[in-house]
Amino acid sequence: FRFKDSLAEDMGRADLVISHAGAGSCLEALEKGKPLVVVINEKLMNNHQLELAKRLHRDGHVLCCNCSTLVETLQSMDLSALKPFPPGQPEKFAVFLDEVSGVQ
Amino acid sequence: TGGHTTEILRLLSCLSESYSPRHYVFADSDKMSEAKIRSFEQKRSETFSNSQFTLDRIPRSREVRQSWTSSMVTTLYSILYSLPLTYKLKPDLVLCNGPGTCVPVCVSALLLGLLGIKRAIIVYVESICRVETLSLSGKILYYFSDYFIVQWPDLKEKYPKSVYLGRIV
Repeated sequence: FRFKDSLAEDMGRADLVISHAGAGSCLEALEKGKPLVVVINEKLMNNHQLELAKRLHRDGHVLCCNCSTLVETLQSMDLSALKPFPPGQPEKFAVFLDEVSGVQ
Repeated sequence: TGGHTTEILRLLSCLSESYSPRHYVFADSDKMSEAKIRSFEQKRSETFSNSQFTLDRIPRSREVRQSWTSSMVTTLYSILYSLPLTYKLKPDLVLCNGPGTCVPVCVSALLLGLLGIKRAIIVYVESICRVETLSLSGKILYYFSDYFIVQWPDLKEKYPKSVYLGRIV
């Protein structure tokens, strides 16, 4: 398919996700606890969009490659080495906001 | 827009009903945010009975990669549009997370404060996508917001006046 409103269902059933470096896609896969291989196309993406993918890779949460090294990466990957990605904590934001806005 | 809306709704997810009524302001060209917001508020009203919110659209400040000179014109137009809206809403707190749309609203809120009409607290949360560099909105609002929150430690180092709470979305 070319386009769906949500990939949540497909991702839920997947054992492995291979994605471009878009933040939404990466985070969605990681939050579902799926092993993720991020394919980076430097020519297509803004520098800033790569920041997150590079950081996730550096922190050991995803595997990275580019289009030409994808096959090789899939053949030699060790998914068990990937670190789980803990969820964000909006509760901390709520506590902070209560403090600064004087809410009891 | 898209990612920003998803993030801001997550930020709101743990807030108490003290933060009510909520006024959502987004770009007129944004087709998807309204549905996401309504869905969020619908769920919220199941827990909090008197939940109130409104939706307002303003002209989009700037398209991706739009040139400097034309961006200034479109942003100015957005500011002229958002001034009466902000005056009408007179918010106590402005919470934003980075789309160009937030700049005119914050500028309007600042103006209202300077004119002694209504002083709002301006809280800016930079997107989780921003690990090493700030967005354009962030670079502007770093100097004009009351609280500037970043989600990665590298940014806290580069922008010492920012607040780092870890990942919050």
